[in-house]
Amino acid sequence: MTASPALPARPDAAAPILAVRDLKAHFRTNHFGVKRYVKAVDGISFDVRRGEIYGLAGESSSGKTTLIKTIAGAIKPPLEVVGGTVDFAFLPGYGGLHRAPPAEVARIRWRHLSYIMQGSMNVLNPVRRLRATFADFARSHIDASDRQFEQAVVDHLARVKLDASVLTAYPHELSGGMRQRATIALATICRPDFIIADEPTTALDVVVQKDVLGMIRGIQREIGSSVLFVTHDMGVHAHLTDRLGIMYAGRLVEEAATAEIFRRPLHPYTRHLISSLPRIGDDIQRKGLEGSPPSLADPPPGCRFHPRCPLAMAACSERVPDMVETEPDHRVACFAVNGDQAP
Amino acid sequence: MSNALLEVSHATKVFSRGGLLSSRRIVAVNDVSFRIEAARPEIFTIIGESGSGKTTLSRMILNIEQPSAGSLVLDGTDLSTVRSNRDRLAFMHKVQPIFQNPFEAFNPLKQLDRYLFMTRQRFSAAVGQAALEAAVDEALRKVGLSLKEVRHRYPHEMSGGQLQRVAIARALLSSPKLIVADEPVSMVDASLRMSIVNLFRALRDDLGISIIYVTHDLATAYYISDRIMIMQNGRVVESGDARTVLNAPQHPYSQQLRAAVLLPEVTGGTAPANSPST
Ligand SMILES: Nc1ncnc2c1ncn2[C@@H]1O[C@H](COP(=O)(O)OP(=O)(O)OP(=O)(O)O)[C@@H](O)[C@H]1O
Ligand SMILES: Nc1ncnc2c1ncn2[C@@H]1O[C@H](COP(=O)(O)OP(=O)(O)OP(=O)(O)O)[C@@H](O)[C@H]1O
Ligand code: SF4
Ligand SMILES: [Mg+2]
Ligand SMILES: [Mg+2]
Repeated sequence: MTASPALPARPDAAAPILAVRDLKAHFRTNHFGVKRYVKAVDGISFDVRRGEIYGLAGESSSGKTTLIKTIAGAIKPPLEVVGGTVDFAFLPGYGGLHRAPPAEVARIRWRHLSYIMQGSMNVLNPVRRLRATFADFARSHIDASDRQFEQAVVDHLARVKLDASVLTAYPHELSGGMRQRATIALATICRPDFIIADEPTTALDVVVQKDVLGMIRGIQREIGSSVLFVTHDMGVHAHLTDRLGIMYAGRLVEEAATAEIFRRPLHPYTRHLISSLPRIGDDIQRKGLEGSPPSLADPPPGCRFHPRCPLAMAACSERVPDMVETEPDHRVACFAVNGDQAP
Repeated sequence: MSNALLEVSHATKVFSRGGLLSSRRIVAVNDVSFRIEAARPEIFTIIGESGSGKTTLSRMILNIEQPSAGSLVLDGTDLSTVRSNRDRLAFMHKVQPIFQNPFEAFNPLKQLDRYLFMTRQRFSAAVGQAALEAAVDEALRKVGLSLKEVRHRYPHEMSGGQLQRVAIARALLSSPKLIVADEPVSMVDASLRMSIVNLFRALRDDLGISIIYVTHDLATAYYISDRIMIMQNGRVVESGDARTVLNAPQHPYSQQLRAAVLLPEVTGGTAPANSPST
């Protein structure tokens, strides 16, 4: 790969590897006259630092997948990027994959950036055996003889506890968890600088999950990759991620070191989320959040959590709380936490 | 002996996998037996290793896959005798599936409300549009949605969690006796996960529906199950009262499973336990 002479080959180590600024991505649909404009990602800013595992959690349908797709450049109608920028250190100057020329995007895919989509056990080519799929995607990126390549694939599959015999299988002949592991192996075999993973371990039993997380951790340590990891499984966040962002209704509402979020969640939504987690051996009745999830086609004004928030006050339905750095490295968007910053 | 809602006896399923020359015989389900009593609706949980045969077993119970050996009897009917369309419809009236990936369960080109109307019409005699809408709305409300929110929407316009709730509502439309739910909550957030498993409990207690709950989530399994069965490599390695098994697993694999659960908490001192390795 070649870096343009104007840019240093090794960028400043302190600069984030990914900087997202005021990103807005909306769905604009029109079915037989029924128009819908869904503000799935509505003004999100955050950084992923070099070598860290950044976790994202949040309510179902709060826009996590849409955010991830926008960052990974997987933007297809009706999804539109309405505003903001996405800057990867290895793709400087364009403000997002969606604005970069296709040749540049092809250059960074697999080597620099790999994206494991939600439900990705279903993206394996159904009419090709796994061996052919690995060759299709990874062969050209790995400099080795055919035999070395085959060995590298087998070794890598072993890290996710898959036996070499899966290479002769078609996807439908594997269980859900086996397919999910095959996709993870495919996305990581080129050891990319940046791995984006959307619910990559949901179909795995906890024993295998531990191995797979260990493999991701291992790659991240070996080559200093950064990872953006989305999951609903708070146990996974607690054990894997360094920092954690919490989303609600298309916005980021809190962000801090993972340990800090678990010990001292500040936003009322985060507090609910953390307290709703059941454990083996306790018999406390747990309830889901009261009230219905907000419609992103017609979100509540002001703070989008206000119709369901136990601490809501007058300002909450009138103005949007900003993300404020309450303490070093702990950002929260809530009037009850930060005080009402009325003009 | 009292009547069984479901009686699985020595169910076995063998697949062969791979090319003609390298074909391997895989015993996906190996001699599995259990029964669910008709008089005692329960939440029967199956957990186990990835690839241990849970989905294959579920598919046999749903009569999508036929056993290589052994038998499955639902409400007095041997599943191998269910052949005609009429028998199938009667069977589906009693057993409904919920799958892990709701995006696969719906036709992407069909609006969800129309799909729900059609499902309802298949299971109940002709009724007027108003009654139809009321029935669909009621099923959707049981899962925290409403007809208004779903009207004219296509599957891809919903998030995973929303669509999973529509799938449960769809299953309720036939008033089934048994629901087979294969990893139904792995795509939804923790709070919604609790709403859905609480909903399963309500279905059991209020509507007398038994639920076969396949999951990797030991915490919700502990929270709602009556009995649990742990599988490894096609075989049942341990089964019994869910709390007894999960509190003190006996088989080495069950113990390994129990030990690998990641608790939703960060242990260690005041510094983040897992700060970047830099
Ligand atoms: N193609 C689409 N057209 C219209 N609306 C869409 C489309 N895809 C998603 N949406 C809507 O965008 C919102 C955000 O969806 P998204 O899939 O990003 O949520 P998520 O946080 O990943 O949820 P989950 O945790 O359930 O996967 C939802 O309200 C969803 O209904
Ligand atoms: N159609 C098929 N052809 C060949 N082999 C199959 C087929 N379906 C399943 N298998 C094999 O049967 C075994 C059991 O698969 P199954 O899907 O039942 O596992 P599972 O317990 O549901 O796993 P997971 O937790 O990963 O979903 C696996 O080894 C799988 O490869
Ligand atoms: S801003 Fe108001 S409504 Fe929003 S979370 Fe804070 S207190 Fe609740
Ligand atoms: Mg998602
Ligand atoms: Mg399965």
